[in-house]
Amino acid sequence: MIYTYALVAIAACVAIERFHNRRAKTAIVLLLAAFLAIAPRFYGNDAVFSVLADAAVYVMLALGLNIVVGFAGLLDLGYAAFFAIGAYTYGMLASPQFGLHLPFWVLLFLAAALAALFGALLGAPTLRLHGDYLAIVTLGFGEIVPQIFQNLTKYTGGPNGIAALDVPTFFGHSFGASVMPYYYIALVGIAAALWISRNLRESRLGRAWMAIREDELAARHAGIDVLRSKLAAFAIGASFSGIGGVLFAAKLALVSPDLFGFQVSVLIVSMLVLGGMGNIVGVVVGSLLLTIVNSALLPQINSLVDATFHTTIDLSNLHFLIYGAILVGIMLFRPEGLLPNRERRAELHHAGEAAGDA
Amino acid sequence: MHEFLAQLANGVELGAIYALIALGYTLVYGILELINFAHGDVYTFGSFVALGILVGLRAAGALHGAGLILGIAAALIAAILASALLNAGIERLAYRRLRKAPRLAPLITAIGVSFMLENLIELWQGSAPVPFPNVIPNPQLQIGALEVGVQQIVVVALAIVTMIALHFFVQRSKLGKAMRAVAQDRDAASLVGINVDRTIAMTFLIAGALAGVAGFVGGVSFGSAWFLNGFGAGLRAFTAAVLGGIGNIAGAMLGGFLIGMLESFSTWLIGGQWSNVAVFSVLILVLVFRPSGLLGETLPEKV
Amino acid sequence: MKVLELVGVGKRFGALTALSNVTLDVEEGAIFGIIGPNGAGKSTLFNLLTAIYRWDEGSISIGGLSIAGLSTQRIARLGVSRTFQNLRLFGNASALANVMVGEHVLLEANVLDSLLNTGRERRERTEAEKRARELLRFVGVSGVEEQFARNLSYGTQRRLEIARALAARPRLLLLDEPAAGLNPSEKHELVSLIRAIRDGGTTVLLIEHDMGLVMNLCERIAVLDYGEKIAEGEPREIREHPRVIEAYLGAPA
Repeated sequence: MIYTYALVAIAACVAIERFHNRRAKTAIVLLLAAFLAIAPRFYGNDAVFSVLADAAVYVMLALGLNIVVGFAGLLDLGYAAFFAIGAYTYGMLASPQFGLHLPFWVLLFLAAALAALFGALLGAPTLRLHGDYLAIVTLGFGEIVPQIFQNLTKYTGGPNGIAALDVPTFFGHSFGASVMPYYYIALVGIAAALWISRNLRESRLGRAWMAIREDELAARHAGIDVLRSKLAAFAIGASFSGIGGVLFAAKLALVSPDLFGFQVSVLIVSMLVLGGMGNIVGVVVGSLLLTIVNSALLPQINSLVDATFHTTIDLSNLHFLIYGAILVGIMLFRPEGLLPNRERRAELHHAGEAAGDA
Repeated sequence: MHEFLAQLANGVELGAIYALIALGYTLVYGILELINFAHGDVYTFGSFVALGILVGLRAAGALHGAGLILGIAAALIAAILASALLNAGIERLAYRRLRKAPRLAPLITAIGVSFMLENLIELWQGSAPVPFPNVIPNPQLQIGALEVGVQQIVVVALAIVTMIALHFFVQRSKLGKAMRAVAQDRDAASLVGINVDRTIAMTFLIAGALAGVAGFVGGVSFGSAWFLNGFGAGLRAFTAAVLGGIGNIAGAMLGGFLIGMLESFSTWLIGGQWSNVAVFSVLILVLVFRPSGLLGETLPEKV
Repeated sequence: MKVLELVGVGKRFGALTALSNVTLDVEEGAIFGIIGPNGAGKSTLFNLLTAIYRWDEGSISIGGLSIAGLSTQRIARLGVSRTFQNLRLFGNASALANVMVGEHVLLEANVLDSLLNTGRERRERTEAEKRARELLRFVGVSGVEEQFARNLSYGTQRRLEIARALAARPRLLLLDEPAAGLNPSEKHELVSLIRAIRDGGTTVLLIEHDMGLVMNLCERIAVLDYGEKIAEGEPREIREHPRVIEAYLGAPA
């Protein structure tokens, strides 16, 4: 069942990418939206929608990171830190931890703002750094943030985190134990993220990012404020992650520091790399594929193998291998990802020539 | 005072291990401008190879008398060879094709290799730390107010001997000179007849060998090996390399010892749970305020 | 009215003196050429004007305003655009997008406009695209709007880079060896293009090696040698100037 949803969504994405007719594209988007909104009433169960809601959160995270990596060309290896900041915002402000029970809807926006603020705080001193160095600095930040949450036991519950988070309500109706509200919220979130991503790509700011990615010095000569543009990318990208964090924490009703380690950042980077950095639709496909592999395919293969060979192998141990293989395989053999946008494709295939005159 | 000296000794010991790993980062970065993210896992691999040899020899009852010395030598050499070959293999299979790719591609690939290695080592050795055979006797020696273990002395001595050997190798040998030439200007080096591919491969081999030594001494020093050891140690060592000035061999050694001290003293003074925060804060601060490191030169931007 | 004014400008790189005591005025509406042997300091001069380097002595003002301490992007906002000796186009973007980046300083859409695709953003984008198409026509490369810059021929890339620089409607346009690598007929068209640019109200300052082109095109020429200005004047004066002849032909025996 989960595959039906995933395949429909992926097929629609591929179709959107292949059609050039604007109307056809719009029609597919609307059809897909209608399908994802209505089909759950007839088809599926809570387990499926739980996975789909998680998948939707990852799509949002990937779209956010795509703004930083794909649009602005800045490799952020600590993206999970903003996810943690979003999740802990909910965990600390909507739980018995401090007896504060701020509404879920307010915290969605607060978390976005806080994550953006931290994105800017991290970015302001570090965005002068280039390429690899920036990547490593963000990695360091990504390691520090969960560690701080872990160490400030008095406020954050330490290594155990905070449990029994509030169940959100919608005009007085509690979400209860159902996963459907999260699924629908995440769908709306994706729609918003897609809309914003497209707006940005076509905008003055999006062109500035393109220029910075392609040739920072030439961008500066065109009067582009490089630092501010990069900061905007960092802050906007982080805010997506902040919102994703609130959704994630509310659905799980739990936050703990081990949920936001380096492997989460690398997972999101893998989604981008798999789908095609910079291409909005590609990123959606990449994140759907990886989430499905992680949450559905691997466990199923696992139980199949165990049932057939009467073993108790734990294939969930293979996540690192899968992410690693995706990163290496795609970079070596198809650097533009599965669904590239045309700029990135050209960039990655001609980079050798450019290196000569750099 | 007593505690201070003990932490100092501890820091030197940690620092020696980090310095050995840091040298691998710095050699590779110097020649390719690539952060070999998988380097920490090459270190882990070396640790496990040494561990495997020692466990095997112990089971065979070979670790007595002269056999003990031979066994330790065998484990050390095996770790060196295994790590060196692994590192060179990674270069050949994963990085070589990407030499002209955009700068982020090799780094992303290196992260991928690191994840794969970690997972493979986990599948091979399990997800729990494995005790490292306690082969080097560890009586405590009292030198004035300073109390050190024999193991600590061996670890530091081995690391220092390795580093001195590396220094002479890079300064004196033909290959060392070729490495420096390629690091300076790859095209020019190839014009004067240096085989660039081979030199880069040899650099990875040497970097891997250093990680192998680190793997052995790290195993002895920490008393265990763990599939994720390389991630934390690798980041600390990379921080050390950056702190000293990446690409700079003396800098990597200096940085290694400084980071070892930082870890040791931050653990003592503010608690082990903050040492990660301390180390990564140093990483960020150095990169932001002095990206050329303590011993590196600031190069003007090319236009 | 002086668009550009250098007084006693000096620049050293370590022990090497790249420029020393250079004084220069460029009048509004001029086509001004800077020539000199390789290593004379011409490119260094351009790099000072766009704040790639900081000068050590003297002062530089643009439109009467000192640019000391200003960043590259601030100087661009003052109305200084440039091209590069070794072309620096956004290779993996369309020709149209390249020119639209050039218009960056003319647009006012802020981050919020960009996020929400507001009316201002849409309106500006439409206008920017229209102007970009016109500019591509103006420099003589229409029909390649959607092609990637890197796939264009060398001559087209040179023109595209000029179009990108012009897109900011600069008052001062710096051209770094615009004729390098062009064939004679392309050079001929370049001369007309630069004249048309000047006639459009933009002052042009160019570095060039092709002596014939400089003599034909520029109204005023300054000659640099070993970082010093050894002559300045009209093409006729420069051609006969003894120090210039010496610099180019070597010291008389």
